[in-house]
Amino acid sequence: MDDDSQQMFQQECSDLLTDMEDALLLLESNPHDNDQINAVFRSMHTIKGTSGVFSFDDVVNFTHVAESVLDNVRSGKIEIGGDLIALLLECMDHTKILVQLAISEKNITAEDKSKENELLTQLNGYLDSTKDLKEDNSLQEQALVEKEDIDDAVDSKYWHISVRFDHEVLVHGMDPLSFFTYLKKMGNIISLTTIHDQLPLNEDFNPENLYLGFEIVYDSDAEKQQIEQTFEFVKEMCVLYILPPKDSIARYAEMIHALPEDTMRLGEILVRSGAISMDELENALQLQAEPKNSKNTPAPLGEVLIDKKAVHEEVVDAALVKQNQNQNMSKSQRVLRVDAEKLDLLINLVGELVIAGATTNMVAAQLGDEKLLESMSGISRLVEEIRDNALNLRMVQIGDTFNRFKRVVRDVSRELGKDIKLTINGADTELDKTVVEKIADPLMHLVRNAMDHGIESAQDRDNKGKSVQGNLELNAYHDSGCIVIEVKDDGKGLDRDEILKKAMEKNLIADSQVISEKEAFQLIFEAGFSTAAKITNLSGRGVGMDVVKKNIEALRGTVDVESNAGDGTKVSIRLPLTLAIIDGFLVKVGDSSYVIPLDMVHECIDLSDQNSDDKEQGYINLRGEVLPFLKLREYFKEEGPESTHKSIVVVQQGNYKAGFVVDGLLGELQTVIKPMGKILKDLRGISGATILGSGEVAVILDVPNLIQRATQISHRDTVNISNRNSQTLH
Amino acid sequence: MNEPQLSTDQFTESNNSIPEDVSDSSSHGEKYLTFHVSNELYGSEIDRIKEIIEYGAITRVPLTPQYLRGVINLRGNVVPVVDLAIRLEKSINPVTKRTCIIIVEMKSLDGEVMDIGFVVDEVDEVMDIAHDQITAAPQFGTDIRSEFISGMGKLHNKFAILLQMEEVLSIIELMELVALESKDE
Repeated sequence: MDDDSQQMFQQECSDLLTDMEDALLLLESNPHDNDQINAVFRSMHTIKGTSGVFSFDDVVNFTHVAESVLDNVRSGKIEIGGDLIALLLECMDHTKILVQLAISEKNITAEDKSKENELLTQLNGYLDSTKDLKEDNSLQEQALVEKEDIDDAVDSKYWHISVRFDHEVLVHGMDPLSFFTYLKKMGNIISLTTIHDQLPLNEDFNPENLYLGFEIVYDSDAEKQQIEQTFEFVKEMCVLYILPPKDSIARYAEMIHALPEDTMRLGEILVRSGAISMDELENALQLQAEPKNSKNTPAPLGEVLIDKKAVHEEVVDAALVKQNQNQNMSKSQRVLRVDAEKLDLLINLVGELVIAGATTNMVAAQLGDEKLLESMSGISRLVEEIRDNALNLRMVQIGDTFNRFKRVVRDVSRELGKDIKLTINGADTELDKTVVEKIADPLMHLVRNAMDHGIESAQDRDNKGKSVQGNLELNAYHDSGCIVIEVKDDGKGLDRDEILKKAMEKNLIADSQVISEKEAFQLIFEAGFSTAAKITNLSGRGVGMDVVKKNIEALRGTVDVESNAGDGTKVSIRLPLTLAIIDGFLVKVGDSSYVIPLDMVHECIDLSDQNSDDKEQGYINLRGEVLPFLKLREYFKEEGPESTHKSIVVVQQGNYKAGFVVDGLLGELQTVIKPMGKILKDLRGISGATILGSGEVAVILDVPNLIQRATQISHRDTVNISNRNSQTLH
Repeated sequence: MNEPQLSTDQFTESNNSIPEDVSDSSSHGEKYLTFHVSNELYGSEIDRIKEIIEYGAITRVPLTPQYLRGVINLRGNVVPVVDLAIRLEKSINPVTKRTCIIIVEMKSLDGEVMDIGFVVDEVDEVMDIAHDQITAAPQFGTDIRSEFISGMGKLHNKFAILLQMEEVLSIIELMELVALESKDE
């Protein structure tokens, strides 16, 4: 198996499995949703088919059984319910494992094998039950059908057979005509409609292909099985629907969905499905043509038909959905799948373009030629647009990531015995693909934490007068050049006192330290901190929240906690929209240039304006506020010429502020973030590098890290000073 | 911590490769690039070397070990540059017009390929050194860490120390040293 097809297979399977998962979760809330049952079946069927192409027999064998069960669910022989959905979800997980194994060409582990056998036993259990039922069920079914007749069954008293042959069926030596001749032996063909929508009118037409489909209204006393056997030889080469007399509307609706024809007129669909007769349709068409109730606009055909009680509303709805789907399909066909590598290359090139543009701008400014400057500014604007558009290409909606949590929430809430509802807002918020990939794990942790520690058990909730069902929200929205992702629960909230007590126990803070609520909540992100009294399978090991914070910071993001005891907790993650290009602020320290991300720069002030006493200490008085600062020159051990006119760049991250003392301010610039390579990835105080217009490399400062450093240094100094002061006072 | 172990692993690996080459083609040799660092002549196999560029525009990265001279912009990529003289524990010569940066391609343990540059005082020449002209590294007589040397190449009437580049520019070791320096308060 070469790389390309392997990747395609993997991609296709993972897409299908995701679809299946979504469908199953929807089914859980609404087990009678035929669309979703079909979606699950289709996914399973396609995985089986694709795996067959690559002869991954393990996958084929397993999915075949699951598919059989689903087929029975589809045909109504098996009732779908919570247990079966849970089983199917497990089957989905197992299929995922099998697909992975097939791709990596590994053998199944004993553990997975026993799991598979267990699943197969359960699946076969469902299949067996249908076999037992089959014999004695027909009578019951008949009775049921008659009972439901009034509301749910169509009026037709004939069988309806709908068949679409594969194009190659003639090539394989099958003649459809012979099937119809055979059908005649068992009963009467009342009507036969030929569907020729797929007949190509141009040079694509291949005289050896069969492009026709057939809708047959059939009168017979034969069993369904017998009719099915007619088509035994072409079973693999056609789409076949056999609907018994007075079948439920839902089945007809399902068939309408499954038929391959493109946008077709509603009436025609209905006639083809045999749901209404040709006469009824003609009447309806006449009615539509005449102005209805003296209104000038003709009523939609669907409404007319319902008015005439010619068809049931449900059937019309299904046909309408089908038409809408056809419209959606044309929309989705405009979406192009592009290799991520090609995109990365494009973004890299755009990055180069930005740098080259900066260089040219610099040269143009030096030359001072007016015309050149003018055309340069035009180019700059275009480059900026290209940059934004190129970055936009990599933007994906966060919805897919959020949807994964539906399953997590379902599984975990079962495991914990809690009833938790997940609400998703802003699923269409976009952010960079690379960010999306990296945010999934931290989010998973936060969600699990919220469910395990945040939301109380049903009984506790009841006692507190809250609704028994816990609520978990995942929100995403854009806010001033950042994306904010919130994980919000309505659980018990964070207990500030307990956090502080715990932090003192673990020596994370000093006993005497005065701590604001915000700072207290930030403590939960310290390594080795966990408030859960008992460790559960899910969380509470005290590793995790610190990793969450680290991961988010690695994406140049921040994480904040808001909580009201008793009302719940909200964790907000704030992330930059892209990792590739930022606006930077260039400063000079000694001989070197450093870049500070512009969105973190709060203001710049002159150091010489400050009280000279303050300068020697690690902090200054900024409009009555204590601002710790870091002398970058000393901290980075720079040796170049020292400026006599120094500035302080005040940076802010979340609620923390600090100043960096620099030798000069060089202004704003657009920068492309370049990875520093493996060797330099663990550097403290530095988050990356960028290339300046001059072609030189400049280092980008890791502001959160440096703020922390500044705060520590100034804190140390403050303690020293206050000690000194207290000595002099006494 | 496990750094010595790692380097011996790599050393044995490289030791294996040399006798193999010898048995294959004892009369044939390989091409080496020779260069001067701190008034001594060194050599490296040529197929490892990507390019030689003029010395200039190196950006110092603060809080890194001294042997890391800085980073350069190599056609849009940020490439770290090692000061070979310091790595070999020699004295540094001032930068002249002849000072160069040699870019080599290194593979890290997980197979990722990355470029690293190193500073030399002067590039000498490219020459064939037959296998029988290469002797094992002397146990005594050099003050360079023995695992850095793959052999001594005899050319005309002088010797070049042939460097074991995997060791000299060992990515793992460099990473550990950077991390160590960075944690040091």
